[in-house]
Amino acid sequence: MSAPVAIVEARGVGKVYPMPAGPVEALRDVSLTVEPGDYVAISGPSGCGKSTLLHLLGCVDTPSAGSLLFEGCPVLAMGEEERSRIRLRRIGFVFQRFYLLPMLTAWENVELVQSEAGRPAAERRARTRELLEYVGLGERAGHRPSQLSGGEMQRVAIARALANRPGLVLADEPTGELDDETGEQIGDLFDRVNADGTTIVVVTHNPALAARARRRLAMRSGRLADSPAMARP
Amino acid sequence: MSPFEFAWRSLSRQPARAVLGLTGVAVVGALLFDMLMLSRGLIVSFRDLLESTGFDVRVTATEALPGMGPPVADAASTTEELRRLPELAAVVPARFGVASIDTRNGKTAPVAFIGSETRRRGEWKLVEGADLGDDADGGRPEVVVNRTFAREERLAPGSIVRLPSALPAREFRVSGIVEFPFETAGERMAAVTLRGFAYAFPSARRDEADLLLVASQPGAGSEAAVAAIRRTRPDLHAFSIEEVLERLRHAEFSYFRQVSFVLATIASFFALLLVTTLLTVSVNQRLGEVAALRALGFSRRRITFDLLAESALLVGGGGLVAIPLGLLLARGLDSILRRMPDLPTRLHFFVFEPRALALHAGFLVLAALVAAAYPVALAARLPIAATLRKESVS
Repeated sequence: MSAPVAIVEARGVGKVYPMPAGPVEALRDVSLTVEPGDYVAISGPSGCGKSTLLHLLGCVDTPSAGSLLFEGCPVLAMGEEERSRIRLRRIGFVFQRFYLLPMLTAWENVELVQSEAGRPAAERRARTRELLEYVGLGERAGHRPSQLSGGEMQRVAIARALANRPGLVLADEPTGELDDETGEQIGDLFDRVNADGTTIVVVTHNPALAARARRRLAMRSGRLADSPAMARP
Repeated sequence: MSPFEFAWRSLSRQPARAVLGLTGVAVVGALLFDMLMLSRGLIVSFRDLLESTGFDVRVTATEALPGMGPPVADAASTTEELRRLPELAAVVPARFGVASIDTRNGKTAPVAFIGSETRRRGEWKLVEGADLGDDADGGRPEVVVNRTFAREERLAPGSIVRLPSALPAREFRVSGIVEFPFETAGERMAAVTLRGFAYAFPSARRDEADLLLVASQPGAGSEAAVAAIRRTRPDLHAFSIEEVLERLRHAEFSYFRQVSFVLATIASFFALLLVTTLLTVSVNQRLGEVAALRALGFSRRRITFDLLAESALLVGGGGLVAIPLGLLLARGLDSILRRMPDLPTRLHFFVFEPRALALHAGFLVLAALVAAAYPVALAARLPIAATLRKESVS
């Protein structure tokens, strides 16, 4: 029996940004494997390359050096359209600033990505209802982002990230705009999402959120400082 | 959610911006629509006037416009000769002259006279009384007068028109009130038979015609009629309506075409500039949102279609409002331009025709596409990771 394919596997990955004042090396020789069901937290000071690594893992960007495999497929060999397709169907994103579309309701925000993925209307309706119930916003389906609190918006964003049943959810500072109590609620939700089988990689400054992950990685100056595998009680 | 539905939501999210955009496009679109109507309005209107007479070929002695050059000599024999051509259905000689009358308030005023045969087609339209007779009896010759003449001199069928300019003074009996296709505002006009014309202008040479009005046989067409006339009488100059219009298009009416071209270009440019600005500002305000959508897996093509749909809604909505607005504006502008002296009252500068509507739509579709080009490029080429990073830092 063959071993399960890693969701994403980075080997010796580097990222250099060309700048007018000279190239900036954002990532250096980073190797990381995210297995199905993992819950990984990446922490580190601002500008250390956390978000850059997250964007590479999410096929938003491509590395300048090294190799990156998403579900066994080399990302560098993929075209822009193919990477878009993978992001739509296999990856869910949660942003610090939520980025819900303000003219759409919570329901429509969750349904939109499914519609883009070509899911049938009946399936979309059922999935949207299920997800809004899952994040505890079944009663707020018809509300627009401006009518929701920060925590509620982030919960809608998590529902949106899960809409196409992705193998991997990437979250970039998901509690960065929230107070501690609401951040805890979002942390609880991530725990539940992971417990239900979705792989999560979260970039965060929030120690409480990072502590929830089974693997906590620290980054410094574009390098992964350590990668202790930690089992949570 | 289709790109159009998505675009509609985007527009309704900022109603002030949407209303501003729609209003701007409607105003410049109305101007564009008007300029398209103006570019061919005079030609279309003039064609209508020429066709309303029922004659599709004009014959003169020289290339000069009728009445402006020497007359056709031997009018009677020339008319008979042309009437024998199988391509021709009717040939009517016409004479033009100006006589003075004593007005009711004791002044003298000019009256434009047309000498012709009794009406066969649409040389004039009878609105009251009876048409010209054949002057068979020995009484006063009959005259038909236009409404301006009748109103100002209080003429009615049976009234007497006296021409003191001829010696001795000539008198005509009004048989009817008519409307001439080419009468101008305030112009007194009258039509008499050729015999009546000779009576009114005794010094004019007999057997001449300033113009021969020709109607082609329905099956032959005006081109065949013109060719037959040129073959038979190469000394004469025959013009189909299209040839008359072609001359006007390149001479008298070219000014309006140039003005309309320049203004249409300016209007299109402003429509383009307006929509490009609105969309670019809108995209710039939503860079983070666009980057997030791209990160979520929305393809470049989808983002492109969304923006094209937004552009199409702005330009399409504004373009639709532009049509009634343009028609209204055209009425006002037309009434101003028609105050120019010596213009036929039935001539219009702005004429609606489906072609203008199709061109209007075509220009606006083009404007929507071009206007969306820059914001589309901006959104589609957006570096996703860099934008998300920048947005979260800001």
